[in-house]
Amino acid sequence: MHFKRIVCSLFFLAGLLISPSFSQVPIDDFMRSTGKIYVVAAVLAVIFLVIIGYLISLDRKIHNLEKKLPNGKKNQ
Amino acid sequence: MKGIWWKSLTVCILLYVILAGFLVPLRPGISDVSPGRVVAGEAVVLKVEGYNTFFTRAKDSIHAWLKLNDEYAFPAKHIIVSHDASIDVQFEIPDTFPLRGTVHPMSLILTDDTHGSFVLPNAVFVRDCQYFDPPDGIWENVTLIDLQKVKGFYFPYRNILHETIRNAYFHIPMWFGMIIIFIASAWCSLRYIRKGNAEEDLKALALNSTGTLFGVLGLLTGMLWSKFTWGSFWSWDVKQNTAAIAVLIYLAYFVLRNSLPDPDRRARVAAVYNIFGCAMLIPLLFVIPRLTDSLHPGSGGNPALGGEDLDNTMRTIFYPAVIGWTLLGVWISELRYRLLRLHWWIIFGK
Repeated sequence: MHFKRIVCSLFFLAGLLISPSFSQVPIDDFMRSTGKIYVVAAVLAVIFLVIIGYLISLDRKIHNLEKKLPNGKKNQ
Repeated sequence: MKGIWWKSLTVCILLYVILAGFLVPLRPGISDVSPGRVVAGEAVVLKVEGYNTFFTRAKDSIHAWLKLNDEYAFPAKHIIVSHDASIDVQFEIPDTFPLRGTVHPMSLILTDDTHGSFVLPNAVFVRDCQYFDPPDGIWENVTLIDLQKVKGFYFPYRNILHETIRNAYFHIPMWFGMIIIFIASAWCSLRYIRKGNAEEDLKALALNSTGTLFGVLGLLTGMLWSKFTWGSFWSWDVKQNTAAIAVLIYLAYFVLRNSLPDPDRRARVAAVYNIFGCAMLIPLLFVIPRLTDSLHPGSGGNPALGGEDLDNTMRTIFYPAVIGWTLLGVWISELRYRLLRLHWWIIFGK
């Protein structure tokens, strides 16, 4: 719980720090180079990472459930 | 593995979507024209920057016009190809314009036999124009311009979007998938209310988890996309707001479930809430965004899924993408459901 609170406040602080730079739009940065193709790559990476993260959490839940089974049934 | 045929189909469809979505080139387009302001009656040389263009290959067939409105345009005097991505177009801007007003925005039209034709709207602003009707000899009728058709398999070139038009296969199917999964979930809840079978409730719960996952992904990918096209992560666009509300409604579903300790009561209340939540999607995602102005296509009078935003080339990848991502969601939901059912069996027995 304590850990979660720290993570949340860190995100909040990061948001506050970044937000003033949102107003100025740089034209020739990395994400806008080559016709903004890296935005598409980043979008695909976000989808990939979130789905993998979800699958890992699912895997851990299954693992916890398996631990409740009697020993002989574990690998069936 | 259970259901191996549709799971392999999912993998094949998604592979096709990702490969085709990244490999099909963008149609050539005009990315920049300078100077953007000119004076009537002067000769100017416009430096035209192309994207994905091969001007040296098209050299002799390039023709250019500046278009005033749907009726009048005048042709370029001379075109010099410097390299593949850049040409200099020389125009002699006339003194008199067949339209009232002193400042006119004009669109640049380029056409050749390699690229077909492309247009940059409001490419230059002409000032100090005088009105004179009928127009003098330099003006041509727009309808008489012979525009070459583009050949080959390309995605449309859109000015702010550029390559990010490919996000149509990754961001939009998240929302399509979310809506389909939420409808399936409401259907399971309805069956639970009618039959009282606990498995149906678990199915609804599993589908809602995946639907919410897709909604969060839709929000995240949308924020990333909008940062580099609309300028900020959150533009307070009506569709962004209503989509966020829709996701919050479904987050409340999980809170509601966890707040009720009695399993029968929990399942019944959750089922009713779920059906109402699904019904709320209709005004939130389909009605309200169409009532006001929005940056999204399909809202405030913008055409959705049509015109240059989704042409037939894109449809051959977009609809498989919707099917593929939805099937992936069903796959994840199925895993989740089997886990929930195991859990149920352990606690309550069959």
